[in-house]
Amino acid sequence: MLRFLATRLLRAAVTVVLVVTFAFVVLRLSGDPAQIIMGADAPPEAVEAFRRAWGLDDPIWMQYLRYFGAIIGGDLGRSMRDGRDAIALVAERIPATLALTIPALLIKLCIGIPAGITAALHRNSPIDRAVMVLAVAGFTVPSFVLGLLLVLVFAVQLGWLPSGGQESWRHAVLPILTLGIGGAAVLARFTRSAMLEVLGQPYIRTASAKGVPWRAVVWGHALPNAAIPTVTIIGFMVGSLIAGAVVVESVFSWPGVGRLLVVAVANRDLAVVQCVLLLVAGTMVTANLVVDLLYGALDPRLRSQARGA
Amino acid sequence: MPITGAPEVAFRRRSLLGAALAAPALPRFAIAQADSRPVVTIAVQKISNTNTLETLREQSNVGSRTWFSIAETLIEQDWWDDLTLRPALATAWRRIDERTLELTLREGVRFHDGHVMTAEDVAFSFGPERMGWGLTLDQARNLFGSVPGQSRGRTPPPEALAVARRTYPALERVEVIDSRTVRFVNRTPDLAMEGRISRNTGMILSRAAFEAAPSWLDWSRRPIGTGPFRVAEFRPDQSLVLEAFDDYWGGAPPVKRLRFLEVPEVASRINALLSGEADFACDMPPDQIDGIARSARHEVVGGPIMNHRLTVFDKTHPQLANPLVRRAFTHAIDREAIVAALWGGRAPVPRGLQFDFYGSMLHADWAVPRFDPNEAKRLLRQAGYKGDPIPYRLLAGYYTNQLPTAQVLVEGWRAVGLNVVIEMRENFPQVLSREGQRGVRDWSNSASFNDPVSSLTAQHGPDGQQWQIGEWRNEEFGRLSQVLEQGTDPAQRRTTFRRMLEIAEREDPAYTVLHQSVNLTAKRRDLRWRAGQSFVMDFRRRNWAG
Repeated sequence: MLRFLATRLLRAAVTVVLVVTFAFVVLRLSGDPAQIIMGADAPPEAVEAFRRAWGLDDPIWMQYLRYFGAIIGGDLGRSMRDGRDAIALVAERIPATLALTIPALLIKLCIGIPAGITAALHRNSPIDRAVMVLAVAGFTVPSFVLGLLLVLVFAVQLGWLPSGGQESWRHAVLPILTLGIGGAAVLARFTRSAMLEVLGQPYIRTASAKGVPWRAVVWGHALPNAAIPTVTIIGFMVGSLIAGAVVVESVFSWPGVGRLLVVAVANRDLAVVQCVLLLVAGTMVTANLVVDLLYGALDPRLRSQARGA
Repeated sequence: MPITGAPEVAFRRRSLLGAALAAPALPRFAIAQADSRPVVTIAVQKISNTNTLETLREQSNVGSRTWFSIAETLIEQDWWDDLTLRPALATAWRRIDERTLELTLREGVRFHDGHVMTAEDVAFSFGPERMGWGLTLDQARNLFGSVPGQSRGRTPPPEALAVARRTYPALERVEVIDSRTVRFVNRTPDLAMEGRISRNTGMILSRAAFEAAPSWLDWSRRPIGTGPFRVAEFRPDQSLVLEAFDDYWGGAPPVKRLRFLEVPEVASRINALLSGEADFACDMPPDQIDGIARSARHEVVGGPIMNHRLTVFDKTHPQLANPLVRRAFTHAIDREAIVAALWGGRAPVPRGLQFDFYGSMLHADWAVPRFDPNEAKRLLRQAGYKGDPIPYRLLAGYYTNQLPTAQVLVEGWRAVGLNVVIEMRENFPQVLSREGQRGVRDWSNSASFNDPVSSLTAQHGPDGQQWQIGEWRNEEFGRLSQVLEQGTDPAQRRTTFRRMLEIAEREDPAYTVLHQSVNLTAKRRDLRWRAGQSFVMDFRRRNWAG
């Protein structure tokens, strides 16, 4: 088990390093932060002064080593736009994002999983078809289209809810629904597929043939085995809690991490972008690690494989 | 900061007018105790590109919307009527000589911090502390004073210094004659000094507030001016809340609070307006006018402003080095088709890079190059152009209708044989970057006051962007720029201006004008507010009851 955990942790650390390195190289090669932040009218001497002040005139490998050393020392840098700590800028936006993504995750779970199970248990029935039609519609409509549609209906036409901003809980309803509906649709599809696959397995047939009540078959045998692929998807959803609302935050003018990322990328505010990406990578990697551990808990075969290895 | 925008009281025309008329007569405590003025919410695409409110740094169209509520200039441009210069914080001015302008300051003007405005504040606003005169660019870097190892302080950042130098190229000093009189002294003659003073960079700010600020950045995000509204809260990239300044010399503002909210998406701005959460929505594309007009409660106002859209040439490109090729570009543009198809005929095609309010300097018989594909083909044959690719660095939507305009332009150019290749870019610095090969690009030029030096020399002369970034230069044009800047003979200046237009638009094209820009604002129909011929928004009483 320890070795299993160590392998996963090592893999997670490599993933984070790769993400940070990739972001560092791409951001530096795709635009000069000095020119962007100083503005088009800044004279060349001013731009040079900015580069010197921020060490952007050093070779890229030297900047990378300095940056990486700072990260190990716990320093994620400062925003080039106003000099504030990047981590402070990002941290103050996280609550706003979580205020959308956590309720949206609950909606996904509460609607998506029961809908998928129901559809699987009523395969090829009108219930199954209805659930799948809604699910396909839910995940094929892009979130910005769904968001605007919800705004048109509930804000513009009915006047029940605000169209954007972040002043009260009412302002969060439409963005949460936008995020939740799409995710629930994805989860419903995956859960249905997983359940159908499990329901076709010989052990389900055997349990039924032995006279085990159908409810007990579903709860005791089908659901735990169908949970493995579903947990993988849920893991991705948990991993995207921090930066999974970039588009929705823009549509609803919600001042979360997503909007901060968009503005920081446009301005090549390197420290802020890298801080967000580090956070996202960290969340995603942690979620995957937890999912890996859950696999072991859900599937005894994986535990025994890990022990055998 | 969220979009709410719901007025704190019902906002009706009658109550509004009543409040506006009664406000000056009410004692201050009465206003404070029963403030029935509305809260007005304005949905904008962007509040500030630089996340500051200092006009020396924030030289943008979006920044123009807010500064005029916070601060004022000595002389102001009347963007709402005849575009003349009119008294603002100065009640009168007179020429001492061609280099010297004396201004009499308005009495009883208070800053938001309670200080009475004096000549010292004017001297400060144009002085070295704010504009950085005498600093080297290395010294002028305290915007980034919190970078480890660097000092904090109130010295301005380098681009503020650069903008100041460009706006007031020959300003020698501001003399304080007495508490209500100042003299602007130029090193060289300058007939346009009044106009330069009216630019937003010349807003008058409190010296005491500047000296009390912990850093330049803190100060630039909460400048203390004399305008009808003071900064209550500025959340960069999110919102700007301005509160009524009831000691405003022009009378208490008719609006209790202005809330500028950053809503990047056009559709979201329109939705905020239609749902009643915003009272104004800025930067409306023309194709949204009909949809908004279907709402009985809303309308779109605005029209042409003192800004022209241009296509700009990089003369250092191997193909564009030949002026015949650039001239071919200018003749292969169907400007009327662009205006009709994309602007519903609302955007006029102007007489080159000049504006009607130039008055006696206007050359009414001048015109943009005519649309003549055959002439374009002839010029290309004469130039020996073989179809080599010419890059067109393009932003997707900095200007309204930018992408469709570019598509029309490229098709027109291709039709005459010009092989123009669009290269998408994310921001202006990438468009202007010297890395790789520049070709043609989009730009717009504003005239911030009624003289050609505000545009033609400022943008294309030796201190202008094109010249400075190595895109275009012409020695004769450079010499003439100096004549136009410093000349005192009106007839000679007019002739010089004509010759400069001939060079920059015909003989050795630096640019070609496409059409006049249009600024459209959607708003509640019951709000009696007028849009100016500029991006500037005015929420004073004089512009509230129409």
